[in-house]
Amino acid sequence: MTLGKPNLSVVVPLYNEADNVAPLVHAVTEALAESTSWELILVDDGSTDQTVATADAIAARDEHVRLIQLARNYGQTTAMQAGFDHARGNVVVSMDGDLQNDPRDIPLLTAKLEEGYDLVAGYRMRRKDKLITRKIPSWIANRLIQRITRVQIRDNGCSLKAYRIELLRSIHIYSDMHRFIPAVAAATAGARIAEVPVRHHARRYGTSKYGLSRILKVLGDLLTIKMIRSFRDRPLAMMALGSLVAAVFALALGAATIVASVGFVQQKANAVVFPGAAMLWLGLTGYLLMLGLVAEVALWEHRRDGGEKLPLVHEEDS
Amino acid sequence: MTEPIRVHRPEDVSAHPLDPDISVIVPITERPEDLVELYHEYSEPLAESGRSFEFVFVAEPWGRKLTEPLLDIASQGQPIRVFQVGQTMGEAALLRLAAAHCHAPVVVTLPAYRRVQASALEDLIQGLQDGADVVTARRWPRHDAWFNRLQGWVFHGLLGSFTRPRLRDVACGVRAIRRDVLMQLPLYGDFFRFLPLLAAREGYVVSELAVPQHERDTSTRLYGPGVYLRRIIDLLGLFFLLRFTEKPLRFFGLLGSLLATVGGGVLAVLLYQRLNGQGIADRPLLLLGVLLLVLGIQAVALGLVGEIIVHLHASGRRSYRLAHQPSSPGSESETALPPQRGP
Repeated sequence: MTLGKPNLSVVVPLYNEADNVAPLVHAVTEALAESTSWELILVDDGSTDQTVATADAIAARDEHVRLIQLARNYGQTTAMQAGFDHARGNVVVSMDGDLQNDPRDIPLLTAKLEEGYDLVAGYRMRRKDKLITRKIPSWIANRLIQRITRVQIRDNGCSLKAYRIELLRSIHIYSDMHRFIPAVAAATAGARIAEVPVRHHARRYGTSKYGLSRILKVLGDLLTIKMIRSFRDRPLAMMALGSLVAAVFALALGAATIVASVGFVQQKANAVVFPGAAMLWLGLTGYLLMLGLVAEVALWEHRRDGGEKLPLVHEEDS
Repeated sequence: MTEPIRVHRPEDVSAHPLDPDISVIVPITERPEDLVELYHEYSEPLAESGRSFEFVFVAEPWGRKLTEPLLDIASQGQPIRVFQVGQTMGEAALLRLAAAHCHAPVVVTLPAYRRVQASALEDLIQGLQDGADVVTARRWPRHDAWFNRLQGWVFHGLLGSFTRPRLRDVACGVRAIRRDVLMQLPLYGDFFRFLPLLAAREGYVVSELAVPQHERDTSTRLYGPGVYLRRIIDLLGLFFLLRFTEKPLRFFGLLGSLLATVGGGVLAVLLYQRLNGQGIADRPLLLLGVLLLVLGIQAVALGLVGEIIVHLHASGRRSYRLAHQPSSPGSESETALPPQRGP
């Protein structure tokens, strides 16, 4: 028996989670027992253990479960994007494969989504993780992300989120962006975003794939997202702003040159160092302007090809 | 494919198997030897194995004289095809061209000079049948000049420091590849040398196989300084392409913030000294500080533009490849996926 098009797609990226697959499928099945039609998309991200064998066996006997197998380990973001690409439901829910999220929260998220949101993010109540290496960095990161992206999400690290399929079709995540889906969704698609509290469990099987090294990456990605967000619509304007600052430095050093050569005893070195520094800043002024022009060209070509998508809208009932 | 091509086909096509098992591609670029001899030497073990095969030679204009004897034996019924491009196009273009014009499911690339024993081809093809997508030959044990081995050792040491799988003879150029895999890979410029690594990046199974070196492959190879410089630039380009194509700002941002931090530090020291009454107008250190800071800002700005380009292209592209098509093919028609392209 094959199912028709499901209403709900649950996407779970898996990387070496062999022990967790069967309990995960069981938990999701139980949680969604009352839902009419759903599918569970397991995305194997190049696991080297028994994940694929286990998931494949389950997919073969359970028509709700589909396995998408990536050719190598691409990372969580790409695995999630692959799952989104293959999702068929009108509503998509993403969650982690390590059973730290509770599938029983899925109906909560989808119910909230029905209230008229494009994205509903879970935030973890009473988080069961190590304090020093997980909770504190996460708290700092979330404050930073809130501050910089201006998207009020308390817990960006929580994978349990629900999306309208229209939203997922209009954004694309790559690199390490899965932590910033709300920020990306807000910035590029104008999504309406809500939060609901979700349960959180300690890890039962397998090991965590995160280390402290990701903090630096998160900071870098945050900077990238911030820059793209403020830069992508008018790169020339942003570059011109930088170029203006450089021009101010150039002028200041130019003035210093004049003062030094008029007011003080003339030394040969004076006549080189200040004007030299002024010229370096002047060089930067020109360089940034030219770079801004190149960025405008790239953007222009993209828009001309019809690459710019409309933001999501809801037509209000009269 | 826009390269001008002239195809020299023997008239008696019936002697050729239309769909051979193996296509052996020979781009004629440097150090060419007697090609008829080369053909006989390498085709003999293939013929003995009972496989059907074809040899596809691609030559630039200067190779005309070398390929003429091939056409003679092709007209006697040997499975040889010769392609002649109108201009000097480079080895990558020759490979791309030959790949587009051969039909066998398995492609073997072979330099136009002897590097490995003829028996190696069979071993490489066997490797593909054992499940690999690309099998690349490593000449081992080596018995050529120590200088060759030294420069190879240095080059592969550098290469191995940032690439997986670790390859120990990229230069060999003797490889067996599934044709559909070859057609998925970008073969441009100088990066065709690293074809196994590009394949591994796409998630294909790549293996390196030790095969006996040819006894003629012994001459000491000392190249001009330009060649060594190009190899180093290749490594830099490869490093960037393998790691940062999706995240240019990670590379430029790191580089830029390092430069800017050093530059800013220098300027801070100068500012401190100035506030303590020491003159700085005659200190070249001021120039250095400003220069580093400016360079740092330039690097970050460049990374930002790179990031914009990646961001703009991301929406129309899937940067992953599936191990195989999903289990329920009927459902695929419902999800309109953009065509998969390599990043």
